[in-house]
Amino acid sequence: MESQIHKIHQQLMAKEFTCTKLVQDRLDLLKSNTYNSVNSLLDKIALELATKVDAKIESGQEIGLLEGIPFGIKDVYMVQGTYTTASSDLLKNYKSAYTATAIQKLLDAGAIPLVKENCDSFGHGSSSENTIFGAVKNAINSDLVSGGSSGGSAVNVAKDYTVFSIGGDTGGSIRQPAGYNKVFGLKPTYGKISRFGLMAYASSTDCVGPIAKSIEDIRIVLNVMSGKDIKDLTTYQSEKISEESILNIDEIKTIGYFKNFIESDAIDAQVKADFLASIEKIKGKGIEVKELDFFESDTLVSTYYTLAMAETASNLSRLDGTNYGARIEGDNLKNTYSITRSENFSDESKRRIVGGNQVLSQGFSDEIYLKGLNLRDQISNNFEKDFKEVDIILSPVTPNTPPKIGESLNNPLAMYLSDAYTVGFSLGKLPTLTIPKGTGTGLQISAAKNNDALVLQFANFLNDLI
Amino acid sequence: MSKIMTVDILSSIKGAQPSEAVNKLFDVIKNANLNNSNAFNKNHNNAVSLNDLREDVVINSSAIEKEIIIENFPKEKNDYLVVSKVIEE
Repeated sequence: MESQIHKIHQQLMAKEFTCTKLVQDRLDLLKSNTYNSVNSLLDKIALELATKVDAKIESGQEIGLLEGIPFGIKDVYMVQGTYTTASSDLLKNYKSAYTATAIQKLLDAGAIPLVKENCDSFGHGSSSENTIFGAVKNAINSDLVSGGSSGGSAVNVAKDYTVFSIGGDTGGSIRQPAGYNKVFGLKPTYGKISRFGLMAYASSTDCVGPIAKSIEDIRIVLNVMSGKDIKDLTTYQSEKISEESILNIDEIKTIGYFKNFIESDAIDAQVKADFLASIEKIKGKGIEVKELDFFESDTLVSTYYTLAMAETASNLSRLDGTNYGARIEGDNLKNTYSITRSENFSDESKRRIVGGNQVLSQGFSDEIYLKGLNLRDQISNNFEKDFKEVDIILSPVTPNTPPKIGESLNNPLAMYLSDAYTVGFSLGKLPTLTIPKGTGTGLQISAAKNNDALVLQFANFLNDLI
Repeated sequence: MSKIMTVDILSSIKGAQPSEAVNKLFDVIKNANLNNSNAFNKNHNNAVSLNDLREDVVINSSAIEKEIIIENFPKEKNDYLVVSKVIEE
């Protein structure tokens, strides 16, 4: 199977180049890039680690598969001693005191962190324009947005600046930028990878996931990061997914797609035509395809944003400049809080915090927040019902192609609605992968909870087919 | 005791106002049909087993962790970390 990780591993072992050269070359590319994908470079630590890998190879020792492989980290993950800004003014000088579990597992496997990557501030956005480091430009057409919120991570992978990057996906933040930049991006089942050390946006849907150029690399990185972690009690023990298990699709007999996604007025005509053409190719291979009923896009988007805003208002209440954060002194504690937060949060983050506090306040919580929770349950029940009939649900990643830089910030409602096809799977906590084929922004493959292996299996089949 | 708190106070953000775009999302929820109200709580089965709870012990931060935490603190004077003046209301 195609794999950048396997290829580089073999090249390192065969001494085609040194790890130091590999790392230095990628650091140079990151440093000189004009896509605004970098918040800070981890050059010192990266080169130190590369020297150790070279010494090991030189002395004839075996190295692990991930040892010496350069990777990127969305700037919302704690890595001890590095700046972790969440692309915000509030945390622009904040240094991580500890390292996130998922990242620590990669470091333990010998992977080399190169860069903290640009993203929407606190994950608040779908375009990577809501950042103090400049809008991230699309890897294919730099007039367009990279997508978000993990835009810098998707661009770094697409441009081969990193071999893989670790993004974060709350409502589509890995899958949508992966689609916009034509790379693979996985949101695993909620709880498969520990969130400890990931800056919390909406805790009930936050997921850690890999972005890479091949399904095999997604599988390798997923296996390393997965597993139960006592520091995140929503995690569970999971089996490693073997390479052999994803090579054939014997288990997949029936797939489905949501009729209303495709019949919507909001979908781009080309995306629709391409999607339906992909469906015909799948049918041609003898797989049964069913049309499924689902909730309207505006209900999905509104349910997701209601719950996500409530959770982010609560999660970000700790950022007040007292324990940490760029404090702006007022004449008393309360004023210090409000000046610090007013000056240091972006307009989009403030919009979401205020929205969250609205729905959580007395008089509104019953008719909005609790109703939103109820709708989420209905959405989950709908998925349970569907996965009794089909093995896989296929959908476009987005209704439209990426907008131009500057368009999304002026029209937040349009930006929220652009998440129509990704948020439902987040609310359902399902494993969902973007494959950069089938429509202009790719296809999303979803399976029932804990069935991440089936997603990779179907992706492999689709990758050969389309 | 009853006191109406506006969103700017609740959010600790000066001059904060509800946004039109966000209100449109909330209107969709307000007008949504709940066709099965019994569904509530059915999927909230994320409770942690008592056997899975971690030990109730104090884990000391490492020296480097303590050093970074202090480094992150916004203000320090004569080895003390300084907070703003608290007012009683």
